[in-house]
Amino acid sequence: MTATQLTRTRGRRSARVKTTPAAFAGRLIFRIVVVALLVIYGIISVFPFLVMIGGALKTNQQVLTDPLPFTSPPTFQTIVDTFGALNVPLLLLNSLVIAVGSCILILVVFPLAGYAFAVLDFPLKRILFAIFVGALFVPAVTVLLPIVFLDQTLGLNGSPLAVILPVVNGAAPIAIVLMRSYYASVPEEVHEAAVLDGCSEFGIFWRIYFPLSRSALVTVTILNFVAAWNEYVLPMLTNDDPSRFPLPVGLQSLLSSNVVQWNQVMAAALITVVPIIVLFVVLQRFFINGLQGSVKG
Amino acid sequence: MTDAPVDAPARLSAAGRRGRSRRRRRGRWVGLLFVAPAAVLFAIFGVYTVVYGFLLSFARWNGFSPDWTWTGLSNYADLLGANPAVSPVIAKAAGNTLVGMVVLPIVVIVIGLALALLLNSITRLRAVLRTVYFIPFVTTGIAVYYAWRFMYQPDGVVNAVLDALGLHSLAPSDGFLGTTSTALGAVIAVQVWSNVPIAMLLFLTGLQTIPESVVEAAHVDGASGFRTVWSIIVPLLNPVTALVVVIMLRESLQNFQLYLLMTNGGPVNASNTLGLQTYAFAFGRTTDLGYASALGWLLAVAAIVLAVINLRILRSRQ
Repeated sequence: MTATQLTRTRGRRSARVKTTPAAFAGRLIFRIVVVALLVIYGIISVFPFLVMIGGALKTNQQVLTDPLPFTSPPTFQTIVDTFGALNVPLLLLNSLVIAVGSCILILVVFPLAGYAFAVLDFPLKRILFAIFVGALFVPAVTVLLPIVFLDQTLGLNGSPLAVILPVVNGAAPIAIVLMRSYYASVPEEVHEAAVLDGCSEFGIFWRIYFPLSRSALVTVTILNFVAAWNEYVLPMLTNDDPSRFPLPVGLQSLLSSNVVQWNQVMAAALITVVPIIVLFVVLQRFFINGLQGSVKG
Repeated sequence: MTDAPVDAPARLSAAGRRGRSRRRRRGRWVGLLFVAPAAVLFAIFGVYTVVYGFLLSFARWNGFSPDWTWTGLSNYADLLGANPAVSPVIAKAAGNTLVGMVVLPIVVIVIGLALALLLNSITRLRAVLRTVYFIPFVTTGIAVYYAWRFMYQPDGVVNAVLDALGLHSLAPSDGFLGTTSTALGAVIAVQVWSNVPIAMLLFLTGLQTIPESVVEAAHVDGASGFRTVWSIIVPLLNPVTALVVVIMLRESLQNFQLYLLMTNGGPVNASNTLGLQTYAFAFGRTTDLGYASALGWLLAVAAIVLAVINLRILRSRQ
């Protein structure tokens, strides 16, 4: 690896300076090696998803004898059978209620807090912020038991709220830090000008800052949608009514049967990840910008 | 504002002053109102549960009887060696957790940094590959854990690939997750796979903040590519590296769902971790709620101490 290839523009400029055949060949080989390595890691990244697709298109016999994806003539019977073994629409609906419900609450509660921590002065500001950030380091498993008891005491068990409220609260540290660092990067003049124009504090937040923070909002939404969508332990512990199970708990039930039908497990896993991948690919531009912005800020 | 038309600069500065002072006065209580929803939720689901768990760590309780029996520090003492029935399990789980805390950050940093450097040197495929690389991070959860479990089966893809490469001796006949010596490594490998993306993205962001002139100057001075990376780029990325270490230590200490769903600690505690053991004390076959709370708090203290040390180091460097 030579330093010239470390940055794009350097590479281009040096291409103009030295164009001996040897240097050209060297650069070409270097490029090929780089692209090959990157593509190999790309395959590693998506391989489990290929295995899911491959497994979902096999019979149970094929999936046992032939573990590699796409090596048998595809069958759609497995997906049909999976819809028979699991009430997929209901599981999807329950998962959606939990994921969408917690995202809406998160988007209502934490941008407000992030805005206050970034822009406003108020009593206890530093202490409150320290507490919220410190909560990031209290392991979820440490408070899991008290949360389950609390859900019970509040009579939430069986309701999606038993999952939604703890998930929203668990999102607090990262959501507040992300939103705060975004709002802190908005020039103070914006706030001052709005105050001059007689805008109320909530008006400033709602009409100016909130719409401005689109990429941070998308980042927070995706992070928490995924977390809520994949939440397995809380719904399992707070709910024993199968008609209220979200996808992860339904998926788990496939594996706890005596003879595991791996082709159906893969089909159900695929049904679980596809919505997330679609959401991520559609919103990824904002998502990655939001994450990067929060690190730089 | 409907001030009488006085001369413009005077009006502006007067309004400016008024605006500033009003913002502060207004902010004094408005700010609290803005934070209130988050604070109320946190008071119920955060403070209450934290206090509850903390108190329970000093008591014994079977989960049903109305009263707790206060036992002081005995839960902690038992976990740290006083009770021969649990301390070997804890020691094993602590060892496994420690392995994860060392291996995960190192491997994730090496792969993440390498990918970021390589990705930064190409233009055409960059956006597509960045998206592809990120998919394991956003999908992490039960579905991909089960896909890996399937791949790790005795007759699964991983063994099949090893066989095809002529490495049959490396393929455990009980599968990677069913063999004592490989289970922990196999689960950590999945953890690496799902955490490389975030490290890659953070390093990529860090690389974009390094001025081109610095790299160029090194090149002019005759530094080789490797030398430039090792002596200039890596030190400049130290703050990012420290951040990745914090995130990975947190992941190692806190992610018990991965272990629960991949191996449930097995075979014979070979892949048990402190987080998973906490869960097992709370909801497993033989529950002990006092131990669950105490172990949870030992974990929390470890996580907080590590984070503080890491941030101290980070700050002293800057």
